Amino acid sequence: MHISDGVLPTTIALGCYAASAVICTWSVKRTRSEDLPKVAVLTAAFFVASLVHLPFGPTSVHLLIPGLVGALLGPSAFLAIALGLLLQCLLFQFGGLTALGANLLMMGLPALLAGLVFYRFKGTGRKQRIWVGALCGGGATIFSALLLAMLLATGGEDFYGVAKLALGAHIPVVLIEAGVSAMIVSFLLKVKPEILDIPFMMKEKP
Amino acid sequence: MTQPLHLSGYWLLLLLLMPLAVYSGFRMLLGVIRKGEGGKERDWSVPQLEFETGAMSTVHRWDVRFKLASFLVLAFVVVSLQHGQTALAALLLAFCGYRAACIPWRRGFKRLLGMSGFLSMFLLMLPLTAVRHPDDLLLIFGQLEWLSFNLRGLDLAVLIILRATTVAMLMEPLLATAPFPVTLAGLSRMGVPQRITELLLITHRYLYVFVHEARRMQIGMEVRGLLKTSNIATLRTVGNFVGMLFVRSFERTERVHSAMMARGYQGHWPQPVSFRATNTDYYKTALCLALGILLLGYDLMLVGG
Repeated sequence: MHISDGVLPTTIALGCYAASAVICTWSVKRTRSEDLPKVAVLTAAFFVASLVHLPFGPTSVHLLIPGLVGALLGPSAFLAIALGLLLQCLLFQFGGLTALGANLLMMGLPALLAGLVFYRFKGTGRKQRIWVGALCGGGATIFSALLLAMLLATGGEDFYGVAKLALGAHIPVVLIEAGVSAMIVSFLLKVKPEILDIPFMMKEKP
Repeated sequence: MTQPLHLSGYWLLLLLLMPLAVYSGFRMLLGVIRKGEGGKERDWSVPQLEFETGAMSTVHRWDVRFKLASFLVLAFVVVSLQHGQTALAALLLAFCGYRAACIPWRRGFKRLLGMSGFLSMFLLMLPLTAVRHPDDLLLIFGQLEWLSFNLRGLDLAVLIILRATTVAMLMEPLLATAPFPVTLAGLSRMGVPQRITELLLITHRYLYVFVHEARRMQIGMEVRGLLKTSNIATLRTVGNFVGMLFVRSFERTERVHSAMMARGYQGHWPQPVSFRATNTDYYKTALCLALGILLLGYDLMLVGG
C-alpha cells in the first residue's frame, strides 16, 4: 500500500522527506559510482516485478519484494527503492508526491534490514538460504506494514481504525511474500547462485 | 451533546456501498478510456510523458525550474489545508490549471484511479472508526448501537480525498508540459544531485524494456497452460518467473554498462538543456504562490474563527 497525498500531517511528511534524504545520500555513497547505472537498470526490473499480481482467494495481491531487493542490493537497496517509488508516484500516482518521503522510509528501511539479515545469516547450505530468504521476504513485509500503521496513526486517534485495517490487510501479503521469496531464492540458487553471494554493489573490483 | 440520529438498518448498507460505488465508478471510467484506445496497434516504444498541443499552452511555456518550485510549494500547501471549503476551492483552482495546460482529462482520471483503492479505504473506515466526540453527529442504524456512522469521520475522509485529488490534478500539468529529460534537468538545477536525475532517466527507459520482457514471458506461460490460483504450484511458477526476470536484468546491467563505457560515459551525461527565465516566469510563479498563501491564510482564519 502506498500512502497518498493529504493523509499524513504536513510536519510528518516533511520530516520523513528529511530522514529519507539523509539515508538516500548514505546509500548513494555506499554504492560505487561506476555501479550507479547498474542499480538504475535493476530498479526497473524490481519495479516490473512489483507489478506482478498473485491471486489470493477472491482477491489478488501484488508483490512488494522489499526483502529481496535488500538481499540482492545491500546498502544500494534504499537508492533503488527511492528511484522506483519516485517513478511510481510520477507515472501512476501510486503514492503521493508529498508522501514520498514516508513511502520511502516504509519500504526502504525494511529492505536495508532484510539485506543485513540475509547477509549475516544466509550461511552456505541451500536449505538455510531458502529459509532465510523466506524470513527476509515475510519479515520485511511485516516491518513495512508496521511502519505504515505507525505513519497512519500519526494523523491522530481518528486514524487508529484505518491503521489497524491496513495492518490486517497485510497478513495475506506477508504469507505470499515469504513463499514467493523462498521460491525466487531457490530458483536463483539453481540458475545464478553468485548473485546471492555478496550484495551486488559490494563486490570488489575485478 | 448532540443527540445521535436513529435510522433503519438499510441505511447502513447504503452508506457502506458508497465507497464501493466510487471505486467501481472509477473502474468503469477506466474501461471507457481503454475502450477508446482499443483497436489501435500496440506501441512498444517508451510512452511519452509530455503532451504537446499544437499551440503551446501558457503552462508549456513556463520555465521548468519555476514550474517545479511553484507546484511543489502548492502541493504542500494543499495537503496542509484543514477545511473542506478551502480544499474544494483548491481543487477547483487545480482543475482550472489543468484546463489551462490543455491536457486530455483521461490522463488525470487515470491518476485518480491509481489512488482510488487506498482512498476508498478511508471513505469506508473513517466514518465507522473515528473517535466519538460529544458534539459529533452520529447515525445509528436500527438496533446496532455499537456501530455508529460518525459524520465528522466522513468529513475527514472527504477532506483527505479532496486534498489527494487536488495534488493528483497538479501532477499532470507539472509533468506533461515538458519532455521528461527537461523536467529532470530542471530538478537537478534546483539542487537534486544530477546523478540521481540521470539514474531516473535510465530506470524510466529500462522500465518499458522489462515490462515488454515480462509480458512476453507471461504470454509464454499462459500459452503453456498456466492458470493462476492460490496454490504452491502458482507460487513456484511466479517465483521462477520473477527469478528469471532478475537473472536477465542482472545480465543486462553488464551489457548496458559496457555499452555506456564504449560510448565514452565518464559518470556524467552532457547537459544540452539551458534555461533562461523571463519576466513572465516570475509573474506566473508569483501568481501561484499568492494563490497558495491566500488559500492557507483563509484556511488558518477558519481554524481561528
